[in-house]
Amino acid sequence: MANRTFSIGGSHTADKKLSKDCAIEVLPMPSTVYVSMNQHLGAPAKPLVAAGDTVKVGQVIGEPGGFISAFVHSPASGTVKSVAPRKDLAGNSTLCVEIAVEGDEWVEGVDLSDTLVKAVPEDRAFILDRIRLNGVVGLGGATFPAHVKLNPAPDKKAECLILNGSECEPYLTSDYRMMLEHPSEIIVGAAIMRRALGGCRCVIGIEDNKPEAVASMTKALDELKASGLEGYEDISILPLMKKYPQGGEKQLINAVMGREVKSLGLPIDVGAVVQNVMTAFATYEAVQKNKPLVSNVLTVTGDCLPIEKQHNYKFRIGMPLSYIAEYAGGVPEEAAKIVSGGPMMGKAIANLDAPTVKGSSSLLYLTEDQTRRGKESDCIRCGRCTEACPMGLEPFLLVKLARNAMMDELEANAVQDCIECGCCLYSCPAYIPLLDIIRIGKGDVMKIIKSRPRK
Amino acid sequence: MVGTIIWTVIILTVLGTALAVVLFLVARKFRVEEDSRIDEIEKTMPGANCGGCGFAGCRAFAESCVREGNLDKNFCPVGGNETMKKVASVLGIEAVAKAPLVAVVRCNGSCANRPLVNDYDGVKSCRVKATLYSGDTGCPFGCLGCGDCVSACAFGALSMDPETGLPVVDQDKCTGCGACAKACPKNIIELRPKGPRGMRVFVSCMNKDKGAVARKACSAACIGCGKCAKVCAQEAIVVADNLAYIDPAKCKLCKKCVAECPTGAIHAVNFPVLKPKPAPVAEESKEDVNNG
Repeated sequence: MANRTFSIGGSHTADKKLSKDCAIEVLPMPSTVYVSMNQHLGAPAKPLVAAGDTVKVGQVIGEPGGFISAFVHSPASGTVKSVAPRKDLAGNSTLCVEIAVEGDEWVEGVDLSDTLVKAVPEDRAFILDRIRLNGVVGLGGATFPAHVKLNPAPDKKAECLILNGSECEPYLTSDYRMMLEHPSEIIVGAAIMRRALGGCRCVIGIEDNKPEAVASMTKALDELKASGLEGYEDISILPLMKKYPQGGEKQLINAVMGREVKSLGLPIDVGAVVQNVMTAFATYEAVQKNKPLVSNVLTVTGDCLPIEKQHNYKFRIGMPLSYIAEYAGGVPEEAAKIVSGGPMMGKAIANLDAPTVKGSSSLLYLTEDQTRRGKESDCIRCGRCTEACPMGLEPFLLVKLARNAMMDELEANAVQDCIECGCCLYSCPAYIPLLDIIRIGKGDVMKIIKSRPRK
Repeated sequence: MVGTIIWTVIILTVLGTALAVVLFLVARKFRVEEDSRIDEIEKTMPGANCGGCGFAGCRAFAESCVREGNLDKNFCPVGGNETMKKVASVLGIEAVAKAPLVAVVRCNGSCANRPLVNDYDGVKSCRVKATLYSGDTGCPFGCLGCGDCVSACAFGALSMDPETGLPVVDQDKCTGCGACAKACPKNIIELRPKGPRGMRVFVSCMNKDKGAVARKACSAACIGCGKCAKVCAQEAIVVADNLAYIDPAKCKLCKKCVAECPTGAIHAVNFPVLKPKPAPVAEESKEDVNNG
């Protein structure tokens, strides 16, 4: 029997997990790091340091700028050179703290050992506090502050914690490598999140193109269950069919629980909380080791790179992307476009000097052939985009409405539900830039919806 | 056979007449009284339905004029003072003359001044480009060059200059409706008073980066040095966020700032070309003011 998946739409994208056998390597520190204050969804953090201050690794250098916001910690020890705007990878200015790196001295109270701490803390408030104070955000891509998601409104009850290990984007292998190399930590992290949510069941969804990850996670789970400690009951591993965008929040809920989140609703409305496996790892480190989120894993890959130049790196946030590219052997000549994130939803990098952020997941080199857009021709109503849309929308119609700025009709046709996965664009034989135009329409409609007085 | 045709004609005629009477009576009974001034005002309007006045069209503007009874908030930028005078006479009030506005493109990042740093091959739309990233030049504030303003203009007053890659405003055709300013995702188009005989001085830059950064991205960028503000006797120039802005209400068109600007970011347009020797700038500009 085929494994479970979401019920409508989706693309069968090429797999291209080229760097899956490259073990995670730790990057050495560069001479300078630039820590962005805007590494998470929501309000940017407020810097707490000024030029001339000395900082240690793990020291708080930015405090949350609102309810949906997160702490930012120093990824390096050294001296603060400046607090000034710098250009991010899209070329827009964001406030960054520049730190000249001197040694690697951590703040007190952080457990830097590798020993696995299995016992899950009892106190829910303690768990949430540690997650919040250590700046953990969702590392699946959206970088939504984790403590907010794990602390649902009192009238909402979490029934199922879904851990996303599907890594459905082609090329990316950082989650996969973590599931192979640190499965126990991820499962302890899941158990901690489960406790924070009041002991709901937990399902770890992994796409079936990664059987080694399923095996490694199952083995680690069995060992933890056999240890006799509390907190590991009701955790299971579910292989899912390989189909993009399996790792989309709403798609994962549909695949695992068979439920659908209604338009503009939140996963918690159907009793689900979705977190990425990397977030589980960060949660483990934050709660069990009191270690702030200052590093993540990033894949350096691309068809134009020979296998020995493909890497999975553990990087500290704030390292410039150009430093990582240089360390990995330089940008290949054939590369026409460098993408941060996967090829489907990732962003093209306009400025390689931009610093890495908590959510950075790849440096993907695409060749000219892979990136050039075909010449746009007229829509022939073939319906491929409608078949591909995992949200059940009609992209060809939305494009027509968006081009004519028909806001009422756009809203009636649920443009606000678009998850911007890119399946429509991928499927279109006429090379119509569907998503680019829908995104504009979605932005306008969301602005209208938000400006309405609340009932 | 003939009888059938005659009967058909008679029945339809009678039926038609009877229903016409019913329709007439119903129309009389449910007639909506409408102020005749709305129609009158609408007739005086340009009829472009451009939305420059802030209403959905000329009819909506006319309705608003009649409803308000005054013209404090209502102004048709396309028809200008002429039209407003007619509208005021319909309403039986005095129209207050307003200075005519014109669209001004505040970016001088031409291909020569502002080199490309990457290659954009996405949708040819400024709005789409702006959602993706800061643009294909080093300046995140300047013109994106895809011509959203050109397609937004209902009067054909805008065109893209293929040499500079920047939009050009035909000031005779521009009505100051503001459609281009709304269409521009970078907000580089500003509506400014046309000025006496079209003479105006403005900062043709929106770059708020620090001087060195701005200069690196574009050789014609405002670097926020403040020299213009110092030289201005009218205190019309304010430098905020590394960017100078000239208040058109205070500017006396002396052009001192134009000569002072180290990057040439301040533009003076439509000034008479001075033939003999343009050296004593202050002297000449005084004349300009007197002429204007």
